Amino acid sequence: MKLDLTKDFAEYAKDLNQASRDANIQKAMARAVKSYRDTTAETMKRYPHTPDLALEVQGIKTNAIENNPDLLQQAMASVERNKGKAFYAKDAEAALALAAQIIGKGKTVVKGKSMLGEEIHLREYLEEQGTEVWETDLGEFILQLKKERPMHILSPAIHVPREQVAEIFSKFFGKEVPPDIAAEVAQVREFMRDKYFTADVGISGANVVAADTGAMVIIENEGNVRLSTGAPPVHIVMVGIEKIVPTFSDAMKVAEVTWRYAQYGIPGYVNIISGPSKTGDIEKVTTYGAHGPKEFYVIFVDNGRSLMARDERFSQALHCLRCGGCMYECPVFQVTAGHFGYTYLGGIGSIWTAFVSGGLEKAAPLLYTCLRCGRCVERCPMSINVPEMVGQLRKMIVNGEQIGDGDLTLAATVGNASQALSS
Amino acid sequence: MAVETKLPPVLDIIRSNIVKYGNPLAMKGSEVASWAKGLNLPKRGDILFYTGGEYQLLPFIDSLVKTMTHIDQGSKGFSLMMGVRNILDKAGFNAEKVYASVLAKDRERYNRVCNKAAHILQRLGYDLCYPGDEELYSGALLYELGFWEDLKEYAQKVVDMIERTGAKTIVCLSPHAAEVLKLIYPQMVPGFSAEIKTFVEMVWEQRDKLPAIPTSKPVVIHDSCRLARELEVDEEIRDILQAVGVPIVEAYRNKKWTTCCGGPSKLLFPELSHTMGSRRVDELEETGAEIILTSCPYCLASLEGGQAKGDKTTVEDLIEFLYRGFAA
Ligand code: SF4
Repeated sequence: MKLDLTKDFAEYAKDLNQASRDANIQKAMARAVKSYRDTTAETMKRYPHTPDLALEVQGIKTNAIENNPDLLQQAMASVERNKGKAFYAKDAEAALALAAQIIGKGKTVVKGKSMLGEEIHLREYLEEQGTEVWETDLGEFILQLKKERPMHILSPAIHVPREQVAEIFSKFFGKEVPPDIAAEVAQVREFMRDKYFTADVGISGANVVAADTGAMVIIENEGNVRLSTGAPPVHIVMVGIEKIVPTFSDAMKVAEVTWRYAQYGIPGYVNIISGPSKTGDIEKVTTYGAHGPKEFYVIFVDNGRSLMARDERFSQALHCLRCGGCMYECPVFQVTAGHFGYTYLGGIGSIWTAFVSGGLEKAAPLLYTCLRCGRCVERCPMSINVPEMVGQLRKMIVNGEQIGDGDLTLAATVGNASQALSS
Repeated sequence: MAVETKLPPVLDIIRSNIVKYGNPLAMKGSEVASWAKGLNLPKRGDILFYTGGEYQLLPFIDSLVKTMTHIDQGSKGFSLMMGVRNILDKAGFNAEKVYASVLAKDRERYNRVCNKAAHILQRLGYDLCYPGDEELYSGALLYELGFWEDLKEYAQKVVDMIERTGAKTIVCLSPHAAEVLKLIYPQMVPGFSAEIKTFVEMVWEQRDKLPAIPTSKPVVIHDSCRLARELEVDEEIRDILQAVGVPIVEAYRNKKWTTCCGGPSKLLFPELSHTMGSRRVDELEETGAEIILTSCPYCLASLEGGQAKGDKTTVEDLIEFLYRGFAA
């Protein structure tokens, strides 16, 4: 098979150049980088145990990825024990089909921010199915209106300054919204409130999953996740299989490291959700759907992850907590934002692109953008060696190798997990 | 199933130049070694002085990049081109003449860097040998760009070249060469065990012998990524400058946290590379220092390229700066 990427490279280079000349991007990125560095330095000082904890979490993640097939079975069993329903989706299609099946036709969905959602194009798919979907994270909501993809995994609308937000909102809400951040936020709050309480389904991701308890840990600041996972009668969690760790206390450690490096300092909210809402207050009879959702579903999505897990050159990419720290320290990202990315962004994103979202073909331009300068490794709480993996993938491209070449265990593992699901 | 992927042609140009000519830009061995004329360095000895041809090729990289920026890399004409010496021929110019006239000054300067480095090391008491026009490039770019299979074969040639000198220690001027020789070669060439040192480390060991450099103006150090991170050489540069009595100011991002000069993306994304270079220059200039020092050929070129017009700062290689002490 022949693949000519010369055009892709040329177009991509143009896009990068344009981004690096875009005044909005430059203004926003300069602010963001400074604020990230300042906040992180300050919170590290206040919580000096963080780097040690990060080291401990590295160990937790390494073991968890090695034992991922077992942990997946455990986590699914825990969810079922908690009266939720657990599913394993081997790829994007399977995940989307499951979600669509649960949701049904003509419904309204409120959705929390989720990179996995971006990876499988969840919103677009549901909309095509006639479902009304609202992104409840402010940044994602702006992009939903702007019809753009996220430019940072945590601050998706990092490149859009308030003036532009005001323009977009004024048009959408059909009334003048001033370029004042507080006013912009208030406008969305008012609009969303109604959506939370009329939506049929809430969808969220999860930052960590504890296998022993089936607890989904979701970190946030806005409070949109509380509402969208609490108000609608149905809650669906869609989460990558790499997020599972053995125990509840492991999960807490992972969560703390995640938010610390994600510039949260202290997050406004940490949601821990393990099953549907229930009460036993009348005659000790357990009844589901008290104030929160009556139905609770978890879809564990593989979509290339187990392939990564089994390749010792790349399994460390699954340790990524998605804190976003590396991107602020990346010299390319600092001038291009998410233009250096496909769905997943920056250096680590180029690895994820190759395995779960786009393949080597889409990853190639990104892989050759990475400077292999290695500063991301210094920043990364998991010390993920992105330059090393970038080198490996470049070699694979040059040699005409493909992702998963020679992987014989894949079929077996996937088969087992699916069986666990149907039994 | 194997997939044959067509990447931007510049990658293959670089690859085949290294494999065929022993140099990323197909420079002649005599050109690479011209800096050593008159020094009468022996071809055999304990310490191999290894330029890898990297400082020598700096002025040519810029020409290659300039040419590429003006020619559509996807076009047929471009893919016909091989090596820097016939690039301009195809466009109707005589490459040899263009280079000889336009870049004579740059050529001279970068060649002098090698010369100065050898001089400094000799004065510090090291007996150097140099293979002259047999010197081969390290192949670092083969590693960098994914041509690992080619590197496996090529590295053997380099090792043969090294072995012919009988040297036990190899002093690398370029941290990229040091990295690939020290960390990658042992995986590719079984039994390769020469001691690999950077110029900085060799100088650091004998820093007490360095002549002082009279100045009260502070310098700022731009740590090269490879040197600071992979090779973990950063404090050594500070020690050396302290030994010659030069005050240092530190940039906000330095040592292990140094900011990349943008050099690695020069071949594929020259505009972006330039932007990153100037941003790093800005960071370094924020310190108020007027002299920016680095210890890597590509950092040197990128930072110089990133300077704004009329910039008051100068960018120098540590080699050039230390040589001031001997020239005074
Ligand atoms: S690679 Fe490391 S720094 Fe980057 S998002 Fe993942 S965990 Fe954070």
